[in-house]
Amino acid sequence: MTAVIRTQSLSKWYGNVLGLSDVSLEIEPGITGLLGPNGAGKSTFLKLITGQIKPSIGTVSILGEPIWNNVRTFARLGFCPEQDSFYEDMTGWEFLTRLLSLHGFSAAEIGDRAERALRFVELAKDKDRLIRGYSRGMRQRIKVAQAVAHDPQIIILDEPLNGLDPLGKRKVIRLIKEFKESGKTVIVSSHVLPEIEALTRSIVLLHQGKILAQGDIHYIRDLIDKHPHKISVMCSDTRRLAARLVGEPSIRNIQFGPGPETIVFETRDRDVIFGLLPRLVVDAAIDVEEITSPDDNLQAVFDYLTGK
Amino acid sequence: MTTGEMNIELKDIRFHYGKITALDGVDLTLGEGACGLLGPNGAGKSTLLRILLGFLNPAQGEGRVLGYDIRKDQFLIRRSVGYMPEDDCLIPGMDAVTFTAYFGELSGMPRQEAMKRAHDVLFYVGLGESRYRLLETYSAGMKQRLKLAQALVHDPKLLFLDEPTSNLDPQGRREILDLIKDISSKKNIQVLVSSHILTDIEDTCSHVVILNKGKVAAQGELEALKEIQFSLYELRTKGETGGFLKTLKEKGCRIEETEDELMKIYMPADLFRTEIFRTAALENVQIRYFIKSRTSLEDLFAETVGVD
Amino acid sequence: MPIAERGYAHWEGTFVERRFPWWPITRLGIRLAFKRKFFKPVFAVSLGPAVFFLAGIYMSERIEDFQFMFRGRSGNRLLGVDPAYFKTYFTFETTLFLMVMLMVLAGASLICDDLKFNSLQLYFSRPLRKRDYWLGKMATVSFFLLIVTLVPGLLFILFKIIFSGSFKLLADYPWLPISVIGYSLLVTLFFSFYTLLVSSLSKNRRYVSILIFLIYIFSDVFFGIFYGIFHDSSFCLLSIKCNIQQVGAFLFRVNPQYDVPWIYSFLVLAAICSLSGFVLKKKIRGVEVIK
Repeated sequence: MTAVIRTQSLSKWYGNVLGLSDVSLEIEPGITGLLGPNGAGKSTFLKLITGQIKPSIGTVSILGEPIWNNVRTFARLGFCPEQDSFYEDMTGWEFLTRLLSLHGFSAAEIGDRAERALRFVELAKDKDRLIRGYSRGMRQRIKVAQAVAHDPQIIILDEPLNGLDPLGKRKVIRLIKEFKESGKTVIVSSHVLPEIEALTRSIVLLHQGKILAQGDIHYIRDLIDKHPHKISVMCSDTRRLAARLVGEPSIRNIQFGPGPETIVFETRDRDVIFGLLPRLVVDAAIDVEEITSPDDNLQAVFDYLTGK
Repeated sequence: MTTGEMNIELKDIRFHYGKITALDGVDLTLGEGACGLLGPNGAGKSTLLRILLGFLNPAQGEGRVLGYDIRKDQFLIRRSVGYMPEDDCLIPGMDAVTFTAYFGELSGMPRQEAMKRAHDVLFYVGLGESRYRLLETYSAGMKQRLKLAQALVHDPKLLFLDEPTSNLDPQGRREILDLIKDISSKKNIQVLVSSHILTDIEDTCSHVVILNKGKVAAQGELEALKEIQFSLYELRTKGETGGFLKTLKEKGCRIEETEDELMKIYMPADLFRTEIFRTAALENVQIRYFIKSRTSLEDLFAETVGVD
Repeated sequence: MPIAERGYAHWEGTFVERRFPWWPITRLGIRLAFKRKFFKPVFAVSLGPAVFFLAGIYMSERIEDFQFMFRGRSGNRLLGVDPAYFKTYFTFETTLFLMVMLMVLAGASLICDDLKFNSLQLYFSRPLRKRDYWLGKMATVSFFLLIVTLVPGLLFILFKIIFSGSFKLLADYPWLPISVIGYSLLVTLFFSFYTLLVSSLSKNRRYVSILIFLIYIFSDVFFGIFYGIFHDSSFCLLSIKCNIQQVGAFLFRVNPQYDVPWIYSFLVLAAICSLSGFVLKKKIRGVEVIK
């Protein structure tokens, strides 16, 4: 898969305040999650790859071409910013068509695209209402509509689920997955990690202006040596299970609880433990209710890597 | 308050804003434990909170909060209730201690007591080190904790938290959620959390109330509402599953493979779940994830509120 | 228990019923006023006229000592301490102007900051009546204004009696203390209403500060313009300053400057106060806790 967005040693300072330092990465088609603590450089990064600001050092190229002032490439980018600020006196339709006209489409094409985009975000019946009268969820969706109306190849969404109620979130998640299905490249930035996990397994974690990790969540988790994997088992006899496993060298730690029926093992070699477990459980006649990996998720990866 | 008495009891509450019906017959009883308040935008959540805080008189219906009548004892209610608003709020020119003590005083605490308590509460929420700094210098996470501190300073028996994790980075979210869990685990504080982030509610609450179109669409213990299916299990495995699945099917199980490599196994009534492990041991398959299938809160929400 | 429990602890105290629930609000308002830039110097300067007039009272008693300053009998008349003297202090352009400065520095942010920073939600989720909130804010402005009106007024009476060694002042004008109190309360109340009204009109403190000034100044400018065109002194009702001066003249039994019944001026001021009450009620209710 060829990289759609490629940055090379990308760095940006504002005076002596660091925005981003030495970020080199390649983003491929599909959904990539962008996350990091406040001040990590996410907004700087997004501004750099959408060509809104110029790097201090380094290059950004999108679809093989540098982004700066590259109108042709801008046309292939869609951006849905975090801020909520609109021309309140326009209707949804006016807003969308005016933005589309900036792309130089013909009048007929503008109408066509606007219709499609509005249908896509399910705002077709509200298109003639003033944006001032839109609910939070509708405002969020019209932002998404303007990001996709010109059929970009690359869509960048900054906190797209902010302020939406659970049903609204479902709609937008569905939309984003549809983009992925049609081969587009989507970058989603969010602070709500479970929501990123619902969308993708591929992430970029920024921290203090640098890339801290990039790739598949579970692959990254595997590489975090310092924190062995936790396996939580809920069963009828935790003590007996512990007794059976305590002699196993790949078990680093055994903890009882929370609750009387739960036990948590830590291991660096899950293959060995999971390989043993079914036989062990059957032989010891232990009734297993639940097996989970409590720290094989994005929140744990985030916590472990940003040093909590 | 004697045991058995509920913290919140509402019967047939109705309220209109002019022609718009905000609440259309709400019956609610809440006891101890953290409760999540959910609902689409416009469902009546804010109106309900206003009535619970003793701000609005319902057009019809009656209720008691902490034993006080919602029409006659509104002041007494507000003395024992803490409210953490969604919007940022502060008073410029003050530091955290003065701010918190001030609102403690306005809740009816004597001045010295309010001051003493302000220090304690600020340490508890994690602002101990920064409590003498001016509020204008506070970051988003700190402002959120400050709001929680002013809600706790007068030791309320009922705490309303409105979108407590909005605008927080992943670290901040975790810290606030941990605080909420800690507070609700103490006796004598009932916590009501209103949020659109369902994973937060699942993490902190044991009960939920789902509002829709001015009525209570669902209410009860989260675990009970999520309808655990006793013979449906979700699994993730590693290894060659051909033989494993074949054997299970022969034993009478119905198997579904969903997206994201998740397997759903419907067990016949006469089969013990240990059989799954026995089969796994025989076929050399690792079982890495094993839970009883339950509807997610998201699905529950969609079912209750009705997906458009 | 050898080790104390950490974490959240319950408060074992009891609540108090304050006689003045709004007092913490006023106390905070006063504190924040002193923190404002330029407040302390302006406050000091605003006491200047009072000191000046107090010195005048002293001089009026020792007129012989200061005879060299004046020629002829005009000195006697100039420093006669009578109700007109009080009226002069109270309606002195500078005094009024300094009062407006105090209102700007101490009062502009009172409502507008609460609107901007959403703190009304925090106030009203407490057992606090809207009336108490309003009283607390009014009392902040009133506190400073009373220091510049009531306190000097009463001090003048006191010191005149002390310096002259007799109660002649009170004998001649027994209604004087009542006028002093009445006028002080009137002006203080009016200006407090006025300040809160303007403060609730915008979320931007700087804008509010400018408005407090400009409305006051321009009301007088408009009077000047209309008077210049129409030569009708009833346009003095347009000017806040003139209205105050008219009422002051009435209360101190001095001939008013303009040939307009003082009651009209009083009504204009009262109308502004009502407007203030009306607007404030709307603004505070509109932000009732949750949006």
